[in-house]
Amino acid sequence: MTKFANAAALEGFRRELLRQRDSIKGTVTICGGTGCQTSQAKKVIDALRAELARRGLTKEIHLRPTGCHGFCEQGPLMVVEPGKVFYCHITPDDAAEIVEKTVIKGEVIQRLLYTDPVSGKKIHSEDDIPFYRAQDRQLLSQNRQVNPLDINDYIAIGGYASLAKTLAKMKPKSVIDEVAASGLRGRGGGGFPTGRKWLECHDAPGEEKYVICNADEGDPGAYMDRCVLEGNPHLVLEGMMIGAFAVGASQGYVYVRNEYPLAVEHVRAAVDQARELGLLGEKILGSRFSFDVEIARGGGAFVCGESTALMASLEGTVGEPRAKDVHTVVDGLWHKPTVLNNVETWANVPSIMGKGAAWFKAKGSKGSKGTKILALTGHIKNTGLVEVAMGTPLRTVLYDIGGGPSRSKDIKAVQTGGPSGGCLPASKFDLPVDFDALYDAGSMVGSGGMVVMDQGTCMVDVAKYFLDFLQDESCGKCVPCRLGIDRMLEIVTAISEGRGKPEHLPLLEDLAETMSLTALCGLGKTAANPVLSTLRYFRDEYEAHIKQGQCPAGVCQALIEYNIDESKCTACGACLRACPYHAIQGKKKEPHHIVAAQCQKCGICHAECKFDAIQVA
Amino acid sequence: MLQYVTINMDGALLRVAKGTSVLDAALEYGVCIPHLCHVPNLSDMGACRLCIVEHVVNGKAKVTTSCTLRVQEGMVIKSNTDKIQRLRRNIAELLVAEAPNSRAIQDIAARCGVKTVRYPFRNEKCVLCGRCVRVCKEMFAANAIGFVGRGKERRVASPFGKLSEFCKRCNTCLEVCPMTITPCAGPMKPGEEYLCNKCESQLMEIASAPDQCFFCDLGEGFQCSRH
Ligand SMILES: Cc1cc2nc3c(=O)[nH]c(=O)nc-3n(C[C@H](O)[C@H](O)[C@H](O)COP(=O)(O)O)c2cc1C
Ligand code: SF4
Ligand code: FES
Repeated sequence: MTKFANAAALEGFRRELLRQRDSIKGTVTICGGTGCQTSQAKKVIDALRAELARRGLTKEIHLRPTGCHGFCEQGPLMVVEPGKVFYCHITPDDAAEIVEKTVIKGEVIQRLLYTDPVSGKKIHSEDDIPFYRAQDRQLLSQNRQVNPLDINDYIAIGGYASLAKTLAKMKPKSVIDEVAASGLRGRGGGGFPTGRKWLECHDAPGEEKYVICNADEGDPGAYMDRCVLEGNPHLVLEGMMIGAFAVGASQGYVYVRNEYPLAVEHVRAAVDQARELGLLGEKILGSRFSFDVEIARGGGAFVCGESTALMASLEGTVGEPRAKDVHTVVDGLWHKPTVLNNVETWANVPSIMGKGAAWFKAKGSKGSKGTKILALTGHIKNTGLVEVAMGTPLRTVLYDIGGGPSRSKDIKAVQTGGPSGGCLPASKFDLPVDFDALYDAGSMVGSGGMVVMDQGTCMVDVAKYFLDFLQDESCGKCVPCRLGIDRMLEIVTAISEGRGKPEHLPLLEDLAETMSLTALCGLGKTAANPVLSTLRYFRDEYEAHIKQGQCPAGVCQALIEYNIDESKCTACGACLRACPYHAIQGKKKEPHHIVAAQCQKCGICHAECKFDAIQVA
Repeated sequence: MLQYVTINMDGALLRVAKGTSVLDAALEYGVCIPHLCHVPNLSDMGACRLCIVEHVVNGKAKVTTSCTLRVQEGMVIKSNTDKIQRLRRNIAELLVAEAPNSRAIQDIAARCGVKTVRYPFRNEKCVLCGRCVRVCKEMFAANAIGFVGRGKERRVASPFGKLSEFCKRCNTCLEVCPMTITPCAGPMKPGEEYLCNKCESQLMEIASAPDQCFFCDLGEGFQCSRH
C-alpha cells in the first residue's frame, strides 16, 4: 500500500472502502477480547469462519472478531447484523446453526438469546438489554465496529479524520485550546485537566519532547484500559498523534502492563499498519509533523503506573517513584518535557477534535465532562465494563445497569477508585460519578474500578484486604508509606482478631494524615483512603470488633463461631462429608454438631448446607 | 559565575547559591531541619521524609521534602510550623519504633519531640535510608551494594548475595550507617515504648527551640553538614 499524501487521499481511500463494503449483506461480530478468549471465543470464530467458507459466504458476510464489548460475564458474545441479534454464551457447536438460521434466514435462535436476570425475559436485540440501555457508550461502542487488527475498519468509521483535520487546519495552540475548552480531565486516576497539562508541556523550554500512553493498569479488578487498547488501538494512537502535534513531540511511547500480551500484540500491529500508510513517520499526511511510537512492556508492579516510576522504568532503571518538585511536563522522560496520559484520556481526544469541544462538554456534570468507563465487579448481577456520562448517579450504575445485588443480601457499600479510593455506603448512592463529588465524599473516581459489596462483607476485612495489597505493591522507598502501611495493617489485623483497643482508631486517623501529607508518591499519599473511608462511614463496625469482640458481618474468623441449629438440621450429612477438618460429628438421623476445637472456621459447611442450619455467630 | 537567589525562610531572607537544595540552604544558615537520608554531597532520594517543610505557593502551603526542593528566587518556606512538627514527630515515631536500638534514630526521635511510641518496638537492623547505597555508588563508583525487592521485601544487599568484586573494603558504608552508632542505654525495650528523656546530647531541650542549630552530638555522630 502507498502512503497517504494528504488528507484528501485518506478521505478518498475511505470512500473507496465504503463502496467496496456496499456489497456486504451481513456482519457477524464476535467479541475476541481477553475475557471472551478465556471462554473459547477463538474456537467459535474458527468454527464460524469454516462454516461461512463451506457455504461460500465469505464475500457476502463479513466476519469480524473484535475487542471486548464489556459484558464479559456473558461471553463469548456475538451480534448478527442486520437486526442486531445478540447471542451470548455461544460455543463452537452453535456455529453451523447460527449461520444456517440467523445469518441466512434471519431467524432468531431462542436458546442463545440473553435472559434478563431481573425480569427473566429473553431479549432479542442488544439495544434492549438493560445493561447496555442505561449506558452512553461513546468509546466502547466503537469496539463493536472494528477489528483491532485491521486499520481499514477504523478508517471506514471515520478514523484518522480528526488527525487529518488537525494537521491541515489547526495550530498546536488552538488544539490545546480546544482540549482545554472541552473540560477533559485525566482518566488515569488524578482527574488532572488535560488541556492544562498539554499547555504546560507546550510552554516548557526544549526542542525534544515526549508523549506517553499509560497502559499499566494495575488496580485489582480493573480492565477498561486493556479493553480500549485491545479493542481499538488506532483510537488511542490517533489521540496520541494529535497530542504530540499539540505539544511538539516527535516520539511517543505506549507503556503496556506486562500481563497484557494481547494488548501489546494489537498495538504493535496497529503501529505497523499506521506506519505503512504514512500515518506515523516523517511528514504525516503531507504536513511538517513527524511522529513515531514505540511500545514498552511494563515493569510488572502496580507502582510502575505512577508517572515518575513509569518514566524511570522506560529509561531502563528500577521503576521507583522520585520527587516531583519539578513537574514531569517540564522534567520528564530523560529530563525532557513529557505528557503522560491514560489510555482512556487519549481515546477521548479524536472525537473532541472531530466533533468539537462543545459536543464533548454537553455530556457530564459541572466539573467532569464526557463519559467514563467503569469496571463493575463484586456482589452485583451484571458484572462487566460500563460506560456512562459523567454525573450519572451511582444508583443508576448499580441498579439499572448492574441489575442490583447478585445474592439475596442488600448492597452495603461500593468501593470506587481502586486501592487508592474509598468505600461509599448506600446512603451515598445518589452521588454522581464525578471527580469532585466522589473526592469530597472521601473516595474518588480513580481509574473507574467499582467493587460492589453486600451485607455479607465486613468493612474491617475490606480495609485489611486493600492494605495487604498496598503493602506488597509499595516500592518501600519512603518511610510514611512503607512503615505507615505496615503499622496500619498491624493495627487493622489486631482489630479483626479481637485484639483491638479503643485508642487504635484515633491512631489510625493520625497516621493516615501523616501518610497522605508526607509520602513521596501518590501510592503512599492515598494508601490510607480505604481505612479512612471505612472508618468514616462504618465506624460502628470497627467499634463492634473492638468493644464487643464481634464481627457483625460474620466474616472475621477469630471473632466468629459456627454452630448447627438442631431444629433445622435434617442429618443429611452434607456438611459432615464436606468438612476438610473432620470437625463435624453426628449419626444418621440425629442432628449433627461441630466440635469447636477442631473447627478451622473455613465456612465450607455453611456454604454446603441446604437447610440454613449452620449458623454464624 | 555563581548566581544567587533570595528565599524567605520562616520570615528571614536567605541569600543562597542557585541550584542549592532548601535543606542545604537552611543548614548553612543554622536553621535546623531534622534529616536522616540526606548526606552532604550525595544525591537526595527523599526516603526518610523527616526534612519536610511547608512551601507556600500562591498563598497555599504544600508539604514537601526540603532535600529534594531546589531554591528559587522569592520562594517562601516555613520550616517549623505546628503542622510540620506534628508530621515530623509522627514520622520519627515510625522510625524509632522500627529501630529503637540505634543511637542516631533515638536522637532524631528525641529531637523531633517523640516521647512515647504508640507502636510495639521492633528491632530491625536497617531502616533503608539508603545512605550506604548512595555513598558507595556516588563517592566510590563501586556499586557494591544496592536495594533489592519491593515493599516489605525491600533490603540492601550485594549482588547475588556475595561480596561484590568492586567492593574496595573502605568501610564508608558502615561509617554513614545510622544503625552502627551504639545506642544509649535508655529503656528501649519492647513493652517500654518511650524515650528516657535523659539524652546526653540534651536533644529534648533542643526540641523546645526547634529551629536553631545547637551543634548537637547528633550532627557529630551523623555527618550533619554543619560539622
Ligand atoms: C501508584 C500509582 C499507580 C498508578 N497507576 C496508573 C495506571 O495504571 N494507569 C494510569 O493511567 N495511571 C496510573 N496512575 C496515575 C498516573 O500517575 C498519572 O497520573 C496518569 O497516568 C496521568 O494520566 P491522565 O492525566 O490521563 O489521567 C497511577 C498513579 C499512582 C500513584
Ligand atoms: S509513597 Fe510508597 S510507593 Fe511511593 S515512593 Fe514512597 S514507598 Fe514508594
Ligand atoms: S533528608 Fe530529605 S527525605 Fe530524608
